[in-house]
Amino acid sequence: MGILEKQFEENVLTTKVDWLINWARLSSIWPMTFGLACCAIEMMAVGASHHDIDRFGAGAFRATPRQADLMIVAGTVNFKMAERIKRLYDQMPSPKYVMAMGACATGGGPYYKFGYTVVKGVDRVVPVDVYVAGCPPRPEALLEGLMLLQEKIRNSSVVRKPARMA
Amino acid sequence: MDFQGLHDHLKAVGAPGILEADLPREKDPEDKKDLGRAGQPFLLVDAAHIVDFLAVCREDERLAFEILADQSATDPAVDDENLWVTYELLSVRHKHRLSIKVLIPKADAKIDSAVPVYRAAQWAEREAGEMYGITFVGHPDPRNILLPDDWEGFPLRKDYEFPKEYHGISCE
Repeated sequence: MGILEKQFEENVLTTKVDWLINWARLSSIWPMTFGLACCAIEMMAVGASHHDIDRFGAGAFRATPRQADLMIVAGTVNFKMAERIKRLYDQMPSPKYVMAMGACATGGGPYYKFGYTVVKGVDRVVPVDVYVAGCPPRPEALLEGLMLLQEKIRNSSVVRKPARMA
Repeated sequence: MDFQGLHDHLKAVGAPGILEADLPREKDPEDKKDLGRAGQPFLLVDAAHIVDFLAVCREDERLAFEILADQSATDPAVDDENLWVTYELLSVRHKHRLSIKVLIPKADAKIDSAVPVYRAAQWAEREAGEMYGITFVGHPDPRNILLPDDWEGFPLRKDYEFPKEYHGISCE
């Protein structure tokens, strides 16, 4: 850690604020219970012991948006649900992340052509961080999506960039 | 009872509004355009008498259809001038079923509600109403059941046009 290293006695660690905060965030991504369709079954499998999403610190599925960091939109979103999704997203505390799980949440999936009430992608309602492909995605795919999100958080910064001088 | 027995019994007790019995049949080998008909036999019933007809089906001891297993509707084709309303009756006591079909004109899609006879018709009629634009006269609570309350159009009609956007969400 540059010039600060070995300047203090033992038992003192030095690090960057960014690194510490990102590490805390990405190690405890609490998802919101948000199963809408068959993808939810795979999401449940990810939560169960065989795949065990708790290894990534993301196993604490919360039943309220106020305690959740990640909204895994697992399933088909229709217009009636879209308004609720927007409201739940607004109730989540920042920093908040959204994962579109499966073909339906990503782009309407098999309902793209004739699903008159299906939203053609949840990114038309809330901003999406990670898209997971599959119909439904296998649990491994969802875990990879989670690791991608962790990678995204790891590369983020809490320091605001200075405004560009005019 | 089999279908023929049900039909004959309904005739015998004077159930109102029976137009014809439609049975599955083979293709006509002479006529190449004839496709025959598969599926189960059904009774075609006059729309004006459907509630009285259902009441007979329910009350008669030999028929005893206690359960309305399903009620639905169909839009057969764009150029067809009728909608079908179908009823599926089930008797647990006598272990028999009956399919009933009613034709109503698309231009005036109205039919009496079956709720006075079968309370199970409430949700089925709400769904058929919002999907096909059928008015069930005398329904106690004719709100939409699946679609949002402000939905426009009837999605399962063959001439339905898909919405361009809904509450600011684009559908393109």
